Amino acid sequence: MLIGMDVGGTNTDVAIVGDEIVSVKVPNDRGIPAALDRITSQGRLGVSSSQPLNRILTGDPVRVVTILFPGPGLAWPGLLKGSINHRGDAVERIDPDEVRGFILENPGDAVAIASKFSVRNPVLEEEATDLAKEHYPDERIARSAPLALLDFPARVTTTRLNARLKETVCKLTAEIGKGRPDFFFFKGDGGLASPQVVRENPSLLFNSSAAAVALGAFFLSREKECVVVDIGGTTTDLVPLHNGSPRMRTLISDGERTLAETVETLSIPFGGDSELSGGLQPHRMGNALAFGGPRPTLTDALNVEGAEIGDPSRSVRVGKSEAEDAVDRYLDQVSYAVKETGMDRIVGAGFLAPILIPRIARRAGMRFTVHTDSGCANAVGVAVSRVSLTLHARFDSGRKRAVLNGEVQGLKCMGDDDSLIGFCREEVRRRALAAGAYPEDVRKIDLVSFQAYDVVRGGFRAERIADVVVRIPPGITMEAL
Amino acid sequence: MTAGLVFHPDYLLHEQSPGHPERRERLSYTIDQFREEGVFSHRSIRLITPQPASRESVMRVHFSEYLSFLEGSSKTGGFIDFDTSIPIHLWEAALLAAGGAIRAADAVLDGEVENAFAMVRPPGHHARPGTGAGFCYINNMAVMVRHLQDRGVMKILILDWDAHHGDGTQQIFYEEDSVLFTSIHQYPFYPGTGSVDEIGLRRGTGYTANMPVPAGTGDESYLYLFDTVIGPLAREFEPDLIAISAGQDNHFTDPLTGLALTARGYSEMMRRAVDLSRDICEGHLVAVLEGGYSVEGGLPYTNLGILAALAGLDLSCIREPSGFLEWLRKVRDPSAHRGVVENANALRTNLSPFWRCFGSS
Ligand SMILES: [Zn+2]
Repeated sequence: MLIGMDVGGTNTDVAIVGDEIVSVKVPNDRGIPAALDRITSQGRLGVSSSQPLNRILTGDPVRVVTILFPGPGLAWPGLLKGSINHRGDAVERIDPDEVRGFILENPGDAVAIASKFSVRNPVLEEEATDLAKEHYPDERIARSAPLALLDFPARVTTTRLNARLKETVCKLTAEIGKGRPDFFFFKGDGGLASPQVVRENPSLLFNSSAAAVALGAFFLSREKECVVVDIGGTTTDLVPLHNGSPRMRTLISDGERTLAETVETLSIPFGGDSELSGGLQPHRMGNALAFGGPRPTLTDALNVEGAEIGDPSRSVRVGKSEAEDAVDRYLDQVSYAVKETGMDRIVGAGFLAPILIPRIARRAGMRFTVHTDSGCANAVGVAVSRVSLTLHARFDSGRKRAVLNGEVQGLKCMGDDDSLIGFCREEVRRRALAAGAYPEDVRKIDLVSFQAYDVVRGGFRAERIADVVVRIPPGITMEAL
Repeated sequence: MTAGLVFHPDYLLHEQSPGHPERRERLSYTIDQFREEGVFSHRSIRLITPQPASRESVMRVHFSEYLSFLEGSSKTGGFIDFDTSIPIHLWEAALLAAGGAIRAADAVLDGEVENAFAMVRPPGHHARPGTGAGFCYINNMAVMVRHLQDRGVMKILILDWDAHHGDGTQQIFYEEDSVLFTSIHQYPFYPGTGSVDEIGLRRGTGYTANMPVPAGTGDESYLYLFDTVIGPLAREFEPDLIAISAGQDNHFTDPLTGLALTARGYSEMMRRAVDLSRDICEGHLVAVLEGGYSVEGGLPYTNLGILAALAGLDLSCIREPSGFLEWLRKVRDPSAHRGVVENANALRTNLSPFWRCFGSS
């Protein structure tokens, strides 16, 4: 069995995918354990949790203390002594007293630590982490080296985000892990990762709901070229799929680039719970009247037009022309946006999809698909996903050093280019299997990039440097096919 | 304001031989530094991808016979001088470098960016109309200047601060008064030219200004020359664009030369050039990479310093790692400044009949 859970804004959806699909919806106010209790079958569990993380980011501000070792180059405020160069050599060491003083003078809730080129040698970040631990628990300290990519400004922004999220991720891990110790997190790129990987880089979880819907809608419909229209409570989200995959874009946080990639989504601020009050309003006050809520909503308007959602008798408070205007406005907005994507097929997702998608499609002049399980497409997407993993490796024969995803290893001898690539493929496969990947999912490993050059001394090739990136791409597990 | 960075991944391909000083590795570390600094997605920097130059545009500088020789030899491999062989695919590499300079000039002229740095390989300033030399094949700077002239730019000031005298560029514009060629270079040194007495010919007399400097010359002397020779000449000449042959081989870690400029010195000099361009020519400034062989030393810091100055960024942390300071102490010769001043005085005297700033009436 493959089990997927998507913790949304108001409800948690669970889908159990076997020969058939079984789904349940649990209100969030009962807590994650209540949702876990509803899972009676054994099987691999994936959890998409972007909503709890979004709440952290929109909730009370967390004061993040940023400890930077930028070294020579472009200027950064509050720089401390210490520098790693492009080759990964620690050319200037940290001054522990200076770092201690900085930590004392700048009290905060969490700590982000970043040095330039830490992805080639994390030693300064590790030393600073030890000093930060004198005042902060590990759950509130994030380092930039595990992000593994060159781009210090984006690494700093991402590490600051991770510092804000790490404790919540640790708590979620403990809470879910109590009953299901071998669960996976579902990432914003549509793949699964172990809690250990996510702990070092919580930004991997960003906007995972959109990726879940995209993957689930594709799994259910098998439509490779389409726009997924996910009708939720507060918003309607459009995700175009090309060759079965959504487009990815860089996550921007506080106006700055991060290293997190999230699914490209167009969000329209109307959904089933949008309030009806002198017209359709772009906000949610609670459930629809039909579900015992306080105020009339788009869902109630649909009931007035003849749908039978929840308890339709409660929706009669809404006048007929007001209902028609609201539905009309909604269909106009969504069908316009859907047409703008340039696709010619809609795949519906969400509880109201069977009612609204045919009407949106008719208005847009497009074909459509609404699967019987479209109401839980998000949880299905989490269930059928697979472990994905990227390995960034740097080999430096002169320094006898290999750095794999920001961790240094010794390098006894450096083989030819093919053997380096082979080594990386084997290593990423080994890591994925150790994390619990389904063996057939790690057969194909993409070579993302390979670059190598010689270090010349006195006119002769003395050393060699190679950068290799390989990855197990996200997608649907062979187990589900 | 935005600075353009003209770069193509193929600039990392050209190589005469793996052990040659002008090799692929030259820019590898710089690219690493740029990626880590976030240069390729910086708000104030725009990455621009060039196209190869056309044969017509390089014909504006070079003889057709020479170009045919280059193109032909690029198919089989060939030889120009002891330092300059023709590896296979050289023709494509050289056209892409010249195309980079042209693209940088267009980006500035069209207002796409305020100024630009063409970080190209192979370099060009020793190449003359009929031959290559000193690691150079096509004179990227001269091709760019001709292109600017064809686009209606009337007056151009060239500042060649590569450690070696830009003999090719000097020769190409030696008899013209619409291009003021100025050069700071180690002297005596390769290629042997560049004395204060070479001041141009015929209509071009007075439009070549050489500032030879002795080994050991450091930041202070370069800034002195900028403020007391280049600046005054530029203000009087009133060019429509400043073109810099930005060789990075004056850095104190460079293995081929004996000068002692620091990364900070480079960036400071470029900042003054940017300020000057704003004062006199609406900020129109294009820098084209020439030499620079300190592959494992200063190059990433000097290239970054130049780009940072063009983009108007904070230069306070443009420096080498502190471990390099001992190296600087060994190379720098405080007494060199005296020689610099003497040469500058001689130059002013030679140029005084032509320039009010140097005493003509
Ligand atoms: Zn040079």
